[in-house]
Parts: sequence; structure tokens; C-alpha cells
Amino acid sequence: MAKTVVLLCRCFGELDGIIALDGIADRLRAEREDTSVYLLNSLCMEEDAHRIGALLKQEGARAVCAGLCAAGSKREALWESLRNAGIERSGLFTADLREGCAWIHQGNPPGATEKAKDLLFMALAALDEKKASADVSADVHPECLVLGAGPAGLAAAVSLAGQGIPVHLVERAAQPGGMLNLISRTYPGDDHAKTRIEPLLREVETNNMIAFYPRSKVVSVRGFAGDFKIGIQGPDGTLRLRAGAVIIATGAGVLLPRGLYRYGELKQVITQMELERQWIRGVPDDKRFAFIQCAGARSPERAYCSTICCPSSLKNAMRVMEEIPGGEATIFHRDIMTPGNLLEAYYRKSMEKGVRFIRFHEEDPPEILGGDRVEAIRVRDAARGKEQVLALEKVVLSTPLVPNMDNRSLRELFQLELDSHGFFSETYPLHPLETRVDGIFIAGSARWPVSSDKAMEQGEGAAMKALGMLKRDRVSALSLSRTPGEKPGHGTVEERTCTGCGNCVSVCPFLACSLQERDGRFVSRVNKMRCKACGSCVSVCPNGTMQIPEHNYRMVGAMIRRAFP
Amino acid sequence: MAVLVVGGGVAGILAALDLARAGQPVTLAERFQHLGGQVARLDKIYPTDHCAFCPLWTDIRNCLDHPRITVLSSATIREMKKEGDRWAVRILREPPVIEERLCIFCGRCEKACGEGAVHPLLDQAYAPVYCIDAEKCTRCGRCEPLCPTKAIDLNRKTVEDRVVVREVLWATGFENGDLKPLPEFGYGTHPDILTALEFEEWTAESGANRGRIVRRSDFRVPSRIAFIQCAGARDSRMYPYCSSVCCMHALKQAEWVKRRIPDIDCTIFYTDLRAVGRDYFKYSMKDVPGDPIRLVRGRPGLVFALPGGGIAVKYEDTFKQERRIERFDLVILNGNLKPAPAPETGMGPSLLDGEGFVDTAVGFGCGFAVEPGDIMDAAVQAASASMRMIGRDKN
Repeated sequence: MAKTVVLLCRCFGELDGIIALDGIADRLRAEREDTSVYLLNSLCMEEDAHRIGALLKQEGARAVCAGLCAAGSKREALWESLRNAGIERSGLFTADLREGCAWIHQGNPPGATEKAKDLLFMALAALDEKKASADVSADVHPECLVLGAGPAGLAAAVSLAGQGIPVHLVERAAQPGGMLNLISRTYPGDDHAKTRIEPLLREVETNNMIAFYPRSKVVSVRGFAGDFKIGIQGPDGTLRLRAGAVIIATGAGVLLPRGLYRYGELKQVITQMELERQWIRGVPDDKRFAFIQCAGARSPERAYCSTICCPSSLKNAMRVMEEIPGGEATIFHRDIMTPGNLLEAYYRKSMEKGVRFIRFHEEDPPEILGGDRVEAIRVRDAARGKEQVLALEKVVLSTPLVPNMDNRSLRELFQLELDSHGFFSETYPLHPLETRVDGIFIAGSARWPVSSDKAMEQGEGAAMKALGMLKRDRVSALSLSRTPGEKPGHGTVEERTCTGCGNCVSVCPFLACSLQERDGRFVSRVNKMRCKACGSCVSVCPNGTMQIPEHNYRMVGAMIRRAFP
Repeated sequence: MAVLVVGGGVAGILAALDLARAGQPVTLAERFQHLGGQVARLDKIYPTDHCAFCPLWTDIRNCLDHPRITVLSSATIREMKKEGDRWAVRILREPPVIEERLCIFCGRCEKACGEGAVHPLLDQAYAPVYCIDAEKCTRCGRCEPLCPTKAIDLNRKTVEDRVVVREVLWATGFENGDLKPLPEFGYGTHPDILTALEFEEWTAESGANRGRIVRRSDFRVPSRIAFIQCAGARDSRMYPYCSSVCCMHALKQAEWVKRRIPDIDCTIFYTDLRAVGRDYFKYSMKDVPGDPIRLVRGRPGLVFALPGGGIAVKYEDTFKQERRIERFDLVILNGNLKPAPAPETGMGPSLLDGEGFVDTAVGFGCGFAVEPGDIMDAAVQAASASMRMIGRDKN
């Protein structure tokens, strides 16, 4: 009974006249005793796939080498017949005989045939050395931890609770609501700040699917996707929670513009947040307001646009025009950032309400005039090309959101990535709510400055991503693949030869490698749940200890030796 | 019971995956033969400068493989009727002449066709497959008997499906609006005045010119290219809204022009440089090979072909208060994006607002169909709309 079966695809006669498949088949049979060779009209059509299944069973095949085309989309029927015949991934190796051989050497049939023969012999040599990675799996704990009870976290918690998922909602402050506790109104609906989250706050109080932990923070994290074990420290001591997924929605801070536009020196120069506090207390006394955009943002120190400042100024400028008798509002800006439909309409509305706009050049910002109080603002009006001086009483600085102080410690605890500004990074580019750690998601301004309505949207979205994890009964490491199908394998350590150098630990982008003590020495250990089989560890291992069994170096060596005897 | 996702672009694909992974069966209807929508036809995407198709391919593949997702391509919605708390939907499918499942991409049909009507569907399509351009095909029938798998049937019949779903998610995306009603931009008067999407296709690495930057009029390399922002957008005569993606799109195209040919001068005429998302501002400040991209604040008032060759752009540099006319070899118009028509049969006119966007108080939607935005926005909205859809029904 043959051990290895070689399947050669004729591709409906496409290879005729270029690659002499029959001759190659004879050579293969002659050189390898334990190998049967079959030539088939196709390997992709269902009838042929069925025939393959039958002959593999008949041969008792343990390994399959297939010479076929490069079109990965046509493999479904073939893979299924291999699976039914009990052929594992480690018992399969393919060679591209069409796109990479016949098609590019059409004018040279002897060369193409020689190459095809070499490719197949190399594939067989590789197959002899190909091994399988071990898999691990664990039950999924169907509960979710949501960090942060601002709009993003509240939306996430309520969404998941609505799906029957118990939620642990952990909040640093004494009450939920986040930034919405500190402002008066939101845009673009100009609702009172808490209006949108009122139903969510009620849900947190009444729905016993949601456990709320105020004045609490995360102090330890262990585990992996499907089963995180998290230590929370609260006013009553430490608690241990288990969750299959985690959503980080810890929000952001606001920059205090020390040293900018005489903030701190003159009392009438305030920030947007301070203006919001004034609105909460009542209508301000002042009449003439200046709003200065990009105060401390889109600068070399903070090279980003904070997204929310332009619409916030529009909101407050319109309030000045509407609620203060004789009120005047002028917005000093570099660009007005109101992309899309809703925000552009909001911008148009502010112009209709009589808000004035003066554009300044980045290199020529406005100047605050006044001795012991704000008296006027002097600016080089970029659109009119001349200097203007406006008398006014209040200057409001639009400062950017900045990463929370907690972000760095959370980054360490959860082993996530921060971007160059300090916000939590996502896996690009189609997965804005997912991080490099499976099972951990990000939403709201912890991820990037957003308004509260967008934060809620992201919270719901992150809840949806978490639901995908939490609906599974079990999770296996090989299934945690970011690409279609299973992962290619796992980094695997040969402990006997590991010197404990730690190269793999430093280089792994997913922090899957760590050094563990074993009999008085250190050896590397791979967390299979985190490993994505990128191969970085393999390439930096000094003595070949770290391998991915399905792509180990003996395979490569065998292929090279066959190609260059 | 399944839900219907209308539109197989980024928004629809990601929503379908989110729903399916949470246990919800999905029928995904796409009007073209391939998935991926507008993004699949782009060359590169910002801010990572990846090829557009590569990251998208993963999720397209996941969509096609997922057991709970049924993809109906070449499908259009004919009618929707509310029956109690469900929707009965009639979907018309026009299966392509060359059946994807059977095509082995051998190319015999392409070689045999005398009209150039047969070509690969999409150079970077997930499934290499040929397709027949109906406009060029003369139905001579030469290709049909040559196909080794009998994948070609010139008399392929349309198929009507009737599906009953409990909810519908609109993810119909965007398309280019016609700029001819705004004659000052000169669109349609000269081959070297083109829209940003046309320029993307023209210069794509996988496109007809294999990444070469050349003029459409004479195939020569341009020395000066103008990108005009807000053409049609933020304009009460056409689209009063901001299309959201164009500033970054122009920066990306200008950067790629400079990467390929550093000597080409690129000028972007903008109104507000909306580089708002993560790392977008940094992207707008990036160094490029050759001279920096010139940013001029001012929306040009007139674009016209010059008799001696080239295109004149008349504008005001608002920072210098100077009015000038400059000559360019290529003028790229950015801004005229509008929501692709969402077939509203049965759902009533209230689904769409005055601009053609889906009103999410009336129905579920995500992506440009709801609000102008880019890939990141669509991905977030797909996830949140899915959550709301799943939330409605405990099945």
C-alpha cells in the first residue's frame, strides 16, 4: 500500500505541449518506491474531487503531493476530499505547475518540464519533513469586561446585556457617564449632554446582567481570548473577574493649554471644558467671544487633529448667538473640520446664525491683547490679507483630547499597542475596533478622539466584535487566525536546545513568547493563543530551536538539497 | 431567520461577517459580479498606503467561506414587501455568461474573441475568472465551444429569487455624480480633465497602464497635475455636503504620483484640508520625493482646455489674495460623490432623505449609504448597525 500519493492536474489539457506530465510521472514512480502517481483531468471539479477521495482511501494514503494551478479559490472540493480521506494539513504539499511554471515558460517546453519535475521532487522532499503543530483549546467564558463607563463603555455594556451576556462594567470615577458629566450640551443635535445616555444609565442601574464597579481599576491581567482572568481593585478591596472578551473604553483627557494664548495669565482666556462648566451654571455674562481652534493641536508637539474641536466651537458659538442678548461669536481657525453630511450641515447652520469666521495661517497665530484682562484679539486675517483687531471679553481655546495617563499602565497590563501619540492602536486597516490581542477591543476616545455619538457607535461595534468571540463554546488556538482558514501553525520550541537567549521574546509582535524557568535554566515558551505564526521568532533564533512545524527548516533544507544536489 | 444585507462593498462585507459570527444567518446581495465595491477598484488606500485589494481580500474570502453567509452576486433588488414583521424580497440575478465556479482561467475564450470583449473580471479578483463585456460582445459564439469546462453560456437566463428576511441592512455605498452640470470644471470637454476615481483606475498598478502616469490625450508623461477639491461638493448647486474622503484621497494620489515620478509637480486646490482621522494629519505632512506637494487654498473658478495643448486652471490663492491662471497637463476633480441608489421599492420614499442617504430612523444602514465616510467609518458603522439589528430579535 502506497504511503504518499502524487496528484498531477492536467488542467483540461492546458499543460499539454508544455509540460510532459506522463514522463514526470514515470520518473516519480521510478525514484520513490512508496509513491503512487495519478494524472487527473482536473483537481478542482467536483467529479474529479470525488474520484480523488476514493483512490486516496483505496491507497491508504498518509500524505499527498499535488501539482496544480495557483488559483487558491478553486481548492474547496479538493480540500474536502482530502479531509474525508483523513489527510491532515501536515500531510499535504502543493507545487504550482501552471502560473509559475507552464505559463511563464511557454516558449521553452523542455525547461518547463524540467522545472516542473524539480518542483515536484522538492515538494516530496518537503513532505517527508513536514510536521504538525499542537493545538490547544479552552472553553469560552461568556462574560465581558468593559473598562470605562463613558458613552462608549455604556453603549457596549447595554448592547451585550441585551444579548444575554453578563457584563462587568468597571469605572475609575464614582459615577458613570465619563466626559458627558462635565459638559452642558452635545452636537449636532444640541441635546443636553446626558440625554443620549440617560436610557443607558437606567439600564445599568436596573439590568442585573450589568455589574457596575465604581472607583475601581484593573491591577492584573492573565489568560487569553475566551478566558481572561482580571484583578480589579475597588474601594472594598480586590476582586477576581473572568471574561471571554474585554472592551477598553477608558476615554481621553483634555489638554490644558499652559503657555498658549496667555492661558493661566488672564482669567478670561478659558478652555472649551471651562466654558461648558459655565453653561452648566447658567448663561455667561460676557457678550463677545472668540474661539481659537487648534490650540496645542496640529503642531509639531501634537501632530494630530482632535476631530471634535471644530464642531464643539460651532455648538458653543451658536449658543452665544442664541442665548446671550447681543452675543457675538468669532471662530479663529486654520481649517474648519466638519467632514460628512451632518457636520457640514451644522457648519452651514452656524453661518446662518451669524457666527463669524476668520482664518489664520499656522505660522501667524492670533495674539491676545490686554493688560490685566482680555481686551481684544489681533490677527492676520489670511483670507483678506490684512490685520484685524476685534474687541472682546472672552477667549475660548479649543484644545485637543490627549491620551489618558492610564493608557500606559493599561498597555502593560493587557499587552496592547499604543500609537505614536499614545492612543490605543487597532489592527489596520479594516478592523478599527480590534487590537493585536484576540478578544480585546477598543472603543471611543481611548482609541482616537471622537464625539460622544461616535463613541457610542464604536461601543456598540466593539460589543458586536466581542459577541463574535463570546458566542463560541470553545476557542482553539489554531482557529484564532486573522486570515481565512486556520493559522499556518504555531511557533514551537525544542526545549533541549533552547539557550534562553530571549531573541524571540524581543521580536514577537504579538508578545506570544516568554522565558520560563525549567530545571534551573530559562527556556522559551510560546503562548499558542497569541502566536500568529509570523515566523519572526524562527528567523532570530540562533540555533534553529524555534520552528513552525509545518514550515520547519529541515523541510526547506531538504527542498534546497533536492534543487541543488 | 436570515437578514438581508444589500451591497457587497466594505460596509456590507464587514456587517455580514459580524452578523454571521454572532450566529445570525445572512443573505448578501451585490449588484456586480465581484465583492469589494469601490475599494476593490482602488489602487492604494490611505493612511497605510497598502494596495486596496489586499487587506480587503481577507474579509471577502471570509465572507465567501462562512457557512452562514449566502452571497448573491450580479443581483438587484426588484421589490420589497413588508409582511407582518418580515420582508419578502424579490431579487433578480443575472448570472454572468462565464460561470465563475467552472472557469479555470485558461484564457482560450480571450484568445478566440475578435472583439476584445473577453477579459479577466478584476485583475486582483479573489477568484481569477473571465467575464464578457456585454457592450462589446457580438454574440458570434466563437468562445462557447472552446471552453474546456463548458463555463460559457451566451444564453444564460436571469434567475429570480424570493427571500423572506426579518430585517434589511442597506450598505449600498457611493458612486460618482455627473459634473457636467457644473461647466466651470470643464468635465467632459477634454480627456485630460477627469474625476479622481477615473484617475485612480487610469494609473492603478493593476490597471490598463500598469501604474504608468500618463495623460489620457496622448499617453505622454505629464509635468504638472492639478487636484481640485470640492468639485460638486459643499456646493448648494449640487451636493451641499462634504464627501469626507476626498482631501485624504487627493493627498494619497499626489503622494503616489510623486513616488512613481518625483519630477511631476502636484498642486492641490483645497477649501479646508480635512485630514481628521488617526494619523491623517501626519499623512498630510509627509515628505514626498521631489518637490513637496503644493497646497493652494482656493476653489478654482474655471477649468478649460487650451488650444495649444494642456488645461488652464483659473483660481485665487486666498492666502495671497492673488488671482492667477496656470497651465496643467492633467486636472483631477474630487468631490462629486453621492450615495449609490438604494432601491427603495416597498420601503417607501421615507427611507432616503433629500440627498439620497439612508435615514437610520427608518431603516438599518452603514457606510456611505448613510453618511459620507471612509473605510474606517464604514467598518465601525457596520459593526454597530449589526449590533442594533441583532438586538431587535432574540432568534
